[in-house]
Amino acid sequence: MRGVGAVGGFLAGRVDRGGFLAQRAGVAGAAVLAVAALIALLAPLLIPADALDVTRVTDGAWQPPGPGHWLGTDHTGRSVALLMAQGTGTSLFVGLTAAVLAVGIGTLVGILSGHFGGLLAGALLRVTDFFLVLPALVLAIALSTVLPRGLGTIILAIGLTSWPSTARMVRAQTLTIEARPFVERARALGGGHTHVIGRHVLPSVVPLVLVNATLAVASAIVAESTLAFLGLGDPTRISWGAMLHQAQLHGAVPQRAWWFLLPPGLAIVVVVLAFTLVGRALEAVVTPKR
Amino acid sequence: MRLAGRFGGAALSLVMVAVLGFFLFRVVPGDPVVSMTRGRPTTAAMQAELRAQFGLDRPLPEQFWNYFTSLLQGDLGTSFTFRRPVADVILERLGPTLLLVGTATLIAVGLGLWLGVRAAWRRDSGFDRVTTGVSLTLWAVPTFWLGMLLMMVTGDLFPSRGMRDTDTAPDFVSQALDVGHHLVLPSVTLVAVVCAEYMLVMRSSLLEEMHAPYLTTARAKGLRDDVVRRRHAVPNAVLPAITLVFLRFGLVVAGAITTETVFSWPGLGLLFYDALTGPDYLLLQGLLVVTAGAVVVMNLLADLLHGVLDPRVKVV
Amino acid sequence: MNPLLELKNLTVHYGPKCVVNDVNLALAPGQTLGLAGESGSGKSTVAMSVLRLLPKSASVTGEILLDGDDVATMSWGRLRAVRWAAASIVFQGAMHSLNPVQRVGDQIAEPMRLHGVEGNALDLVEQVELPRDKARAYPHELSGGQRQRVMIAMALACGPRLVVADEPTTALDVVVQAQVLALMTRLVREQDLGLLMISHDLSVLAETCDDLAVMHRGALVERGRTREVIANPRHPHTAALTAAFPVIGDPAHRWAEPAPEPEPLLQVRDLVVDYGRTRAVDGVDLTIGRGEIVALVGQSGSGKTTLARTIMGLRKPSSGRVIFDGAEVARNGKALKAFRRQVQLVLQDPSSALNPRHRIVDAVAEGLRVHGIPGDEESLVTAAVERAELRPASLYLQALPHELSGGQQQRVVIAGALVLEPRLLVADEPVASLDASVRGEIVALLLRLRRELGLASLIITHDLGLAWQIADRVAVMHQGKIVEQGSAEEVLLTPSHDYTRALLRAVPQV
Repeated sequence: MRGVGAVGGFLAGRVDRGGFLAQRAGVAGAAVLAVAALIALLAPLLIPADALDVTRVTDGAWQPPGPGHWLGTDHTGRSVALLMAQGTGTSLFVGLTAAVLAVGIGTLVGILSGHFGGLLAGALLRVTDFFLVLPALVLAIALSTVLPRGLGTIILAIGLTSWPSTARMVRAQTLTIEARPFVERARALGGGHTHVIGRHVLPSVVPLVLVNATLAVASAIVAESTLAFLGLGDPTRISWGAMLHQAQLHGAVPQRAWWFLLPPGLAIVVVVLAFTLVGRALEAVVTPKR
Repeated sequence: MRLAGRFGGAALSLVMVAVLGFFLFRVVPGDPVVSMTRGRPTTAAMQAELRAQFGLDRPLPEQFWNYFTSLLQGDLGTSFTFRRPVADVILERLGPTLLLVGTATLIAVGLGLWLGVRAAWRRDSGFDRVTTGVSLTLWAVPTFWLGMLLMMVTGDLFPSRGMRDTDTAPDFVSQALDVGHHLVLPSVTLVAVVCAEYMLVMRSSLLEEMHAPYLTTARAKGLRDDVVRRRHAVPNAVLPAITLVFLRFGLVVAGAITTETVFSWPGLGLLFYDALTGPDYLLLQGLLVVTAGAVVVMNLLADLLHGVLDPRVKVV
Repeated sequence: MNPLLELKNLTVHYGPKCVVNDVNLALAPGQTLGLAGESGSGKSTVAMSVLRLLPKSASVTGEILLDGDDVATMSWGRLRAVRWAAASIVFQGAMHSLNPVQRVGDQIAEPMRLHGVEGNALDLVEQVELPRDKARAYPHELSGGQRQRVMIAMALACGPRLVVADEPTTALDVVVQAQVLALMTRLVREQDLGLLMISHDLSVLAETCDDLAVMHRGALVERGRTREVIANPRHPHTAALTAAFPVIGDPAHRWAEPAPEPEPLLQVRDLVVDYGRTRAVDGVDLTIGRGEIVALVGQSGSGKTTLARTIMGLRKPSSGRVIFDGAEVARNGKALKAFRRQVQLVLQDPSSALNPRHRIVDAVAEGLRVHGIPGDEESLVTAAVERAELRPASLYLQALPHELSGGQQQRVVIAGALVLEPRLLVADEPVASLDASVRGEIVALLLRLRRELGLASLIITHDLGLAWQIADRVAVMHQGKIVEQGSAEEVLLTPSHDYTRALLRAVPQV
């Protein structure tokens, strides 16, 4: 019998389950993200504005890696290394904000459609399912085409099209929690909607939402790079996707300018993979083992 | 009852697709003519003429009614860049896309499900670690970048633009071989990314079933491990996986857009790219309605298939 | 003659944790042996070890001799040949132990084909008293009792000499349980099978097994003829187990003191509740007096749970009235909230009735916070927790639910109700998911609360023994109607309705 002796064993229980630190891949992912965040924050401070101004660069176009530009130069002679550093911020910023937007909408819709029954829930579920099957990228393309080009548009286009999976998941979790006897007990105690949602549903949804948000950042970064690659990005900003757009537009492939093609793509893969690994590690920590 | 409900739901979804198309391209942009002619020298008179041509000078409800009734008759309007009916342009590009997407999906589903089953059954084995790791990495790879990379790495081994060469002999065999040759890189690109997702889906679906008590029953009967897997675990795990595969069909569509753009494959994806660089709103609208409609229909098919395969779902 | 099954010094560890400790057990051909124990006593682990079905993380030492062959050391090929042919298992929870997407007939026939046994699945289906066409059904198309019959047919498919039954009737209703037990007893006798039956329920084992073994914390504490073990338990744990199953009609098991003729506290008048087209509650009249304990008994699906939820205002009635303390209960708004302070719910499974993230102090104080009750929260909570006999309260307040035992958790739920000073408790199967030895303590607690606080209770249960133990009055519910009500003695000793008699007949006798 787990008696009084076990009281206060809360921490031990957590260690048994394996904390975040036990997830080696997740820790590696988190380390990568820390480095990326550092680069994103420092790049605008350290890189002189001249270095990325097309009209003021001194290097020749399509220079392979060498002294002065250790990742080579692009079609205008700008240093690829500096472009990479400058682009980190845009990619991370768009990924994070779009994910927060999507997960926010998804959580709201999910809890509302899970907690309240009736027409509202039916309609919300219908809309969720509708947007869930639609190809999100096609919608995002349509949105970014009709709205004025800019960072806001990209964030909006990704955020508004990628919430349904979160909504589905949050709804399922809400329904699971609401079916638990302790919610019935709370109702029998006299608790209303605010009490049930605030004290029972929301706290149990939060860990899953966090996991989902981490994974959402990963797919938002891929989405951002795709939109930018298709020429729908903010033309005034450098991002990894926009660099690949330039690479495609100015024929980096036929030029065999691997130094302009590899770094942005690899950066996307590494950062997206890092977010995925962190998300999976978080998931392993928050879902109780059977 | 359920069948009627499913068809009704799909019909409603199709109407919602139509409304969405109208909303996105007629309501959100404010004045589509201004955006479409952005960057081109136009006079006010020319813009007014365009507005009249597209019926944009009418009140919104009337515009919607006209749009909706022509849509029902298969009329998607006239393309601004091609100066031809949108429906004709789309129909013309359908074949190449079906060829690419069909080939890639078949390979990706087969390979992905097989890898997923093997990885899950021997969880944490070397095979599982490698396939899961590779899949997670591929999932993180932007499709278009993978395409560009493949193109650069293979050099002249495979043709990288279009669907056929102009100087190929006109007989069927040479043409087919030529198209097949052109198909290699785009389909490898698409397969790699899509397959990774299917593998992960199948793996987690089977892992969900791994602790099911009925597998203990099967083992207690004296069945060999691989028979337990083949006859009991996989038939249960594959059902949710198939549904998810169809649900994620949008992913294939997205992949097709960028892949076709990279390889100039003359299908709907490349058309999408042409339309958005225009921008050609009516063409985009037509493409959105057609692809979204196709996805809705695919989803209905998945639902019906699930009803046939899973005895727990009552079809009638 | 060789024993059919012999366990020699069987010990099973999961990591450092010992779940089965040095168990020695033998079963002769044709013998029936019951293995009793509470949850966590290791009895299911013993069952699974017979066919070497434990997960890889289990380390097994000792010998498991099946017809003289050691299962623990035989080759995989030999093991596969022995499985199901020499011994088969009737698993618990037939819903999950059958493949949901395969027809049950195919599942019955599968081991026959595999082991090359002549025979026909349809005959087996008939043997377990199911219509032959049920062989074409999928598990979800069958009722719980029918699925358990399928499991039994499957176990007999290869004509084994030993059948291991792991809690074969646990999820079933009393009446269905009695039918399935009768079927098993008949088949075991007819085919001269050895039977090892695992259960937490002594009365089930008493019905079916000649011999009885009792497990406690991984060790075998008692073994003997069933009648003798139950009549003269030698180990204190066995004594606790036997005492926990009240014998209806035995005054020693009737704990309720006679209550004075009470004035009505809660009256239900002609209550009707519909779920879509089905009528769950059909014109029910019921009265609970101040300080009175009323047991509402019936099978699952009889509508008793719906009735309780409707009384609590958790579900709206289609028609009829609920009157509390002379005033009709409001259906919503502030008045309903005020009513809920007076009437509190105690649920079946305490581990799920407490939010796993909330500390005990928060779980108990939840009602106070919902109703915004003034006063010193800590002292109110402490008083309620100690009233529910968790002393000293300070030991428990900061704990999380999973750190407590089932009995302690149920006390927390009761404390959470008491803190609001209610006048009526509605308890839905309050002891059904508790271990036998804890059950008596909770029953005693409910009776003490009535004595000390004048707290009335409506006890919803399928367990007639519990009704005998605790209730002043008993109401029997069947298909949405109350078919009989009266004092516990009247209803349980001289039943007037056929359904009540059927329920009483189905109670396994110790």
